[in-house]
Amino acid sequence: MIDVFIDITLLAFLAITAVAIVRITNLFAVVMLFGVFSLLSAGLFVVMDAPDVAFTEAAVGAGISTVLMLATLALVRRSQKPYYAEAPRAHRPWLPLIVVTVTGSALVYGTWDIPGFGAPDAPAQTHVARYYIENALSETGRAGELSRLRYPGRSHGDLYRGRGRTAVARWATLETGSQDKG
Amino acid sequence: MIIDTLSWICLLAGGALGIVGGIGIHRFPDFYSRLHAAGITDTLCAMLILLGLGLQAGWSLAAFKLALIFVFLFFTSPTASHALANAALHSGLKPGLDRDKREGLNHHD
Amino acid sequence: MRPNLILHVVAKFLIPLIILFALYVQFHGDFGPGGGFQAGVIFSAAFILYSLVFGLDTAEKIIPAHWLRVLAALGVVIYAGVGVLSLLLGGNYLDYTLLAGDQIAGQHLGILLVELGVGITVAAAMLILFFAFAGRGRE
Repeated sequence: MIDVFIDITLLAFLAITAVAIVRITNLFAVVMLFGVFSLLSAGLFVVMDAPDVAFTEAAVGAGISTVLMLATLALVRRSQKPYYAEAPRAHRPWLPLIVVTVTGSALVYGTWDIPGFGAPDAPAQTHVARYYIENALSETGRAGELSRLRYPGRSHGDLYRGRGRTAVARWATLETGSQDKG
Repeated sequence: MIIDTLSWICLLAGGALGIVGGIGIHRFPDFYSRLHAAGITDTLCAMLILLGLGLQAGWSLAAFKLALIFVFLFFTSPTASHALANAALHSGLKPGLDRDKREGLNHHD
Repeated sequence: MRPNLILHVVAKFLIPLIILFALYVQFHGDFGPGGGFQAGVIFSAAFILYSLVFGLDTAEKIIPAHWLRVLAALGVVIYAGVGVLSLLLGGNYLDYTLLAGDQIAGQHLGILLVELGVGITVAAAMLILFFAFAGRGRE
């Protein structure tokens, strides 16, 4: 319950920040808002049980890229005139609006085929996850279910992202527990 | 039970101070008084929340990490406030005084 | 009082701690969140803080640009070298099992070296990016 509340709050703030980034013409404020956006998404990743991604987002998005954008800002103007203020006649929003709407609907349509968040029958859970759960401990000697799961995946890109990872971890403890007994 | 109550008092007081700081940043008239409001959020609010979380964690590795965050914030947030105020003063922003308002002058925008 | 005295003192106090944290993230990445990429970014953040506080020229004296280029390549060489070494030992590319006597020690050594390579390259590349952006205004 509280998870859903935090999710909704963070997503609402993300949307507000995104709209503000588009609307504001002071580039300095835009850079700061980009940092806020990264921080909010890092918080969202933590809520989704993906501390690794959150860590990267906080370090790169909120830290380094803000500094890089500030360094860029030192070279260019501090504010930007809106496009339609410079040439009001040439601004016709209809074609871009149609393109954006069509692309957005196509993306939303595509999400219908994606398995549910943390669903046990998602390809990531059924394909390689089982191999790692069954073989990671004997091959790497790692204790602790989370690190045991992510350890062999490290060099091939982290496969365990999102809440599914916790689900797999819980499943793994159940599996190994039953193996120990049997 | 007592520790739980104490930690909740700390957390709620920290949250309330955060809200007060936010209102202050929104409502205060000029940069320096806003910085003062932000300083409240930076120091006491964060410290109280960390203390409350530390009480929840008990004597553990998590509490030690919270203590390290406390030390880090203890040094960095006053420095950040100082750097902001210093930069504002260097770029010629004068603090808005009561006298200016009475004389109808407006230094702070 | 010198201008920025407080900033200088606090930065000198913080930079070793940031580097220590980067090393923790680097070598604790086997057990918890973290790893080479994050450690490299935090490591470079320490040097970026140094150059923001003490000036770009001082920072470039500490890490000259040609060193950075060598380091960025060195990380990739370490990463690929581990892979080629396991090829030469008779396994697959990046098959850590053969690097040491038994399988578990081999896995441990392999991931440690690969993450070290990633960390060095990411730190150097971030610093190159920062110096490239921040250095342009001077010319």
